[in-house]
Amino acid sequence: MSEVDNSGWESVIGLEIHVQLATESKIFSNAPTAFGRPQNTQASLVDIGLPGVLPVLNKKTIEMAIKFGCAIDADISSRAIFARKNYFYPDLPKGYQISQLDDPIVGSGKIEIEINDQKKLIGITRAHLEEDAGKSLHDKYDNFSAIDLNRAGTPLLEIVSEPDLRSAKESVAYLKKVHSLITFLEISDGDMSQGSMRCDANVSIRKFGESKYGNRTEIKNINSFKFVEKAINHEIQRQIDVVEDGGRIEQETRLYNSSKNETRPMRSKEHANDYRYFPEPDLIPLNISKEQILEIRNNLPELPEEKKLRFVNEYKISEYESKNLNSSKELSIFFENIAKEVSYPKNAAKWVLGDLTAMLNRYNTEIKNSKISYRDMINLLNKIDDESLSGPGAKKVIELLWESDKSVDEIIISEGLDQVQDEGDIEKLIDTIIEENPKQYEQFNNGKDKLFGFFVGQVMKASKGSANPKKVNEVLKKKLSQ
Amino acid sequence: MKISEETLNNISTLSKIKIDDDMKPKLIEDLEEILSMVHKMNKIDTDKIAPMSHPIDDAQNLREDISDKTIDRDAFQKYAPKTDNGFYLTPKVIEQND
Amino acid sequence: MTDLTSLTLLEQRDGLKNKKFSSEELTSEYLKRIDKKNKDINCFISIDDSAIEKAKKCDEKISNNSGSVLEGIPIAHKDIFCIKDQRTTCGSKMLDKFISPYSSTVYEKLSNAGVITLGKTNMDEFAMGSSNETSFYGSVKNPIDLERVPGGSSGGSAAAVSANLCSFSTGTDTGGSIRQPAAFCGVTGIKPTYGRVSRWGMIAFASSLDQGGVFAKTALDASLALENISGFDPKDSTSINKKVPSLLSEASSNDMDHIVGIPKSIINNIKDVKVKNNFEESIKILKKLGIKTKEIELPNLEYALPVYYVIAPAECSANLSRYDGVRFGYRCEEPKNLDDLYSRSRAEGFGDEVKKRILIGTFCLSAGYYDAYYIKAQKIRNLIKESFLNAFKEVSSIAMPTCANVSFKLNSIQSPVEMYEQDIYTIPANLAGLPAMSVPSGKINNLPLGIQFIGNYLKEGVILNLANKFQEQTDFHKQV
Repeated sequence: MSEVDNSGWESVIGLEIHVQLATESKIFSNAPTAFGRPQNTQASLVDIGLPGVLPVLNKKTIEMAIKFGCAIDADISSRAIFARKNYFYPDLPKGYQISQLDDPIVGSGKIEIEINDQKKLIGITRAHLEEDAGKSLHDKYDNFSAIDLNRAGTPLLEIVSEPDLRSAKESVAYLKKVHSLITFLEISDGDMSQGSMRCDANVSIRKFGESKYGNRTEIKNINSFKFVEKAINHEIQRQIDVVEDGGRIEQETRLYNSSKNETRPMRSKEHANDYRYFPEPDLIPLNISKEQILEIRNNLPELPEEKKLRFVNEYKISEYESKNLNSSKELSIFFENIAKEVSYPKNAAKWVLGDLTAMLNRYNTEIKNSKISYRDMINLLNKIDDESLSGPGAKKVIELLWESDKSVDEIIISEGLDQVQDEGDIEKLIDTIIEENPKQYEQFNNGKDKLFGFFVGQVMKASKGSANPKKVNEVLKKKLSQ
Repeated sequence: MKISEETLNNISTLSKIKIDDDMKPKLIEDLEEILSMVHKMNKIDTDKIAPMSHPIDDAQNLREDISDKTIDRDAFQKYAPKTDNGFYLTPKVIEQND
Repeated sequence: MTDLTSLTLLEQRDGLKNKKFSSEELTSEYLKRIDKKNKDINCFISIDDSAIEKAKKCDEKISNNSGSVLEGIPIAHKDIFCIKDQRTTCGSKMLDKFISPYSSTVYEKLSNAGVITLGKTNMDEFAMGSSNETSFYGSVKNPIDLERVPGGSSGGSAAAVSANLCSFSTGTDTGGSIRQPAAFCGVTGIKPTYGRVSRWGMIAFASSLDQGGVFAKTALDASLALENISGFDPKDSTSINKKVPSLLSEASSNDMDHIVGIPKSIINNIKDVKVKNNFEESIKILKKLGIKTKEIELPNLEYALPVYYVIAPAECSANLSRYDGVRFGYRCEEPKNLDDLYSRSRAEGFGDEVKKRILIGTFCLSAGYYDAYYIKAQKIRNLIKESFLNAFKEVSSIAMPTCANVSFKLNSIQSPVEMYEQDIYTIPANLAGLPAMSVPSGKINNLPLGIQFIGNYLKEGVILNLANKFQEQTDFHKQV
């Protein structure tokens, strides 16, 4: 997608990213967090907000928030306070959301992104813990909205950036960076299609050189990397149009509609709401010790930046390849499992980022759902390496591995992809071809060198592509010069 | 402290409590009486005092991340005003987005 | 035969253990008496039909000596404590048909201790009130004078003990809801340290102030009852993770030394001279017992009432948002749309006092007012706690009247602030989270009065001991 033609306008963007934390139970209750279960079967007494129930904070969510804070080099609060955010909505059972306002668990930090080979630091204002709401389904019944509270109380880490982003592209790069961080830290599966990671964007425009911010709009409901770019670009253009037509940007919340690629103001009065935050009286302030932070910091897993450098050094792959292989933790592990076992890790990178990624894209899925295991890839790469499998043959194997239940070896046999290596066999093939094409043989001997390619083609065709082309060349040269 | 009808309407909207017009004068009178009593707080200087939201705040008790899978939806919904097929039902909310 | 219903809890416990009478006899005596008296007093909202059956089971356990500490003792619960599969109304139309799918920790603990629930007692709606007149189920009448209020909000539980309809009952105290009705009904009532009694299943009014407690005929009875509902509960994250001592043995100990603090300026400012005299007489009784007293200052307590009427409504405005007609409780007829569902269900389901407090709380938290009201109140709350902490450097407990007056006539107080002033002496202990209790200290025109003892954090045993010493010397608690 092309960047918006700014024509003198600079866009200023900040993102609020909601990350569902990968805990077993909810943030304030012991209900399971499993996705896709029958309605209201994962909503406990606490999640429904029955009279007399009380929240008790899940330890793991604090550890996860601290992990994230350490990874972005942020200040961790020694005393975190939870607050009630009050508003009425059917999927918010208590009539308030337990969130954080003052003293969030993670204070200011920074995240580095790379855009057009330039590194840029994006400031993180804060990251705080809160509970997710349930879901309202408006299309199930003609006259009713249906409420499912399974998601209510799922732990969220809300990561708020400074308005440091200057384009939709930067926003996507930042979002991807956050995605790789949370997956490397194993605090979330980061699956946007299931809502494990959701994003709101605050967008404003100003003339280049201006230091004041313009009025901003908040774009809600952006749920894929693709839509982040589209929605932001659309909103930037809309704002430029409004201002250039002599209008003025209203500070408001807008919803992005991905099917129409447009944003529209929310009709509900939610943006005008007065949330009346106050400290949650059911939860006293949470003390976080220096020791606890230190312990988590010392046990942080390898982060994407470190791993990227290590891959370049250890496996001699390019920085570009390494960056892509480290876009998710699962992909980096998949690659490394192969790289450790093959002679040319560089080739592993090529195949993983090339044909394998193409298959993932074709079936619109992620590496964790790959039908091709890293063992398959090792097997494949070893065969390419010892020349028993050709490049085109390997491409075929990858496709069939995905589409059938056969193993690598079964596919090679059933498709006859095993390269003919034996010189005797190749000689026999060549003899037959020469016999069948006496005219061409004669012309070649009379100096028509171009016909060499013709003979290679015929041999390969006769072998159904299974002859090792290098060997065919060698033997053919010998034969034709006789 | 005077409470205007506008203020009353605002807090009625925020708290989702409908107030009938004929109740408003008496209610405003009561709220004003309560708030003037509350205003006694202003006699004391608290500039250097930290706010305290909880009388006892030594340590918050936390839970381990363990889930209990025995959720009895039917028992929880038995006395709910309106349910169907495990859903809670409310009057239809019209959202422009979906 | 002795009237079993007039016995104290300790007498009943011993009588059952020694098989002088059975739990079935005791329970049926109570049920008969409730049947006779409740029409006038209106202190029960519901009666548990299975009480006799349960009493029989208790008798079996007692007969084979496998009974628990309170096996077979019939009691009453304030209708704010959820009991599984039983109606729990909180005195509100909003929850008139609410059958709880779970039980409160207080109920569970007492059930495990062997008690039998006779029924659930009437209360001010959502515990908001000082006279029991805000209940959807009608006012409770003071058993001592049926034209007068029992106090509130736990008025039903206080009246039930006072009228010999049970030997002890549970209550909750957010700003005096146990101590004020205890004083008005001539019984003993204690609210422990905030966090001693689990709030799980106890319907919230103001979370940082609410605390469960008990009513009983004597300090010793109250200590036995209280130790059986106290203790750490992992379901309440504000619950205190410390072992509960045997309060009964602490209460009856002869080795405890006391220095009782007398807050001079508060006592000097008591308006009703009879109330002041009664307090001074009570202090003389303590002195006669050889108990040391010491005059102290408790600055800033005069701000407790305004602070409370910011914090409690603010917290309740959020706590009561869950009553929205969606998942449980009252829903208005034929809602036109979502907003109509909310605003009518809440307007019709809540009574006037509850609505007033939600509105006040919403106002105090709303944009532009938060700092001037809520934050200001929290700062003064800190100062009040500080005052107590300073006082407890010099004394082991603090004494003051429970209430500025005796029980008043039904419908006699119309001004909201005048009603709120009922709690001027009780609210400070809630703001600081301290244990406090009321003990009968005499009568004015045949209406009982209470003296209040406030203890340091977790020192329930100290005030119970003091109260027991006072009761050993007096018979005010036997005059009901």
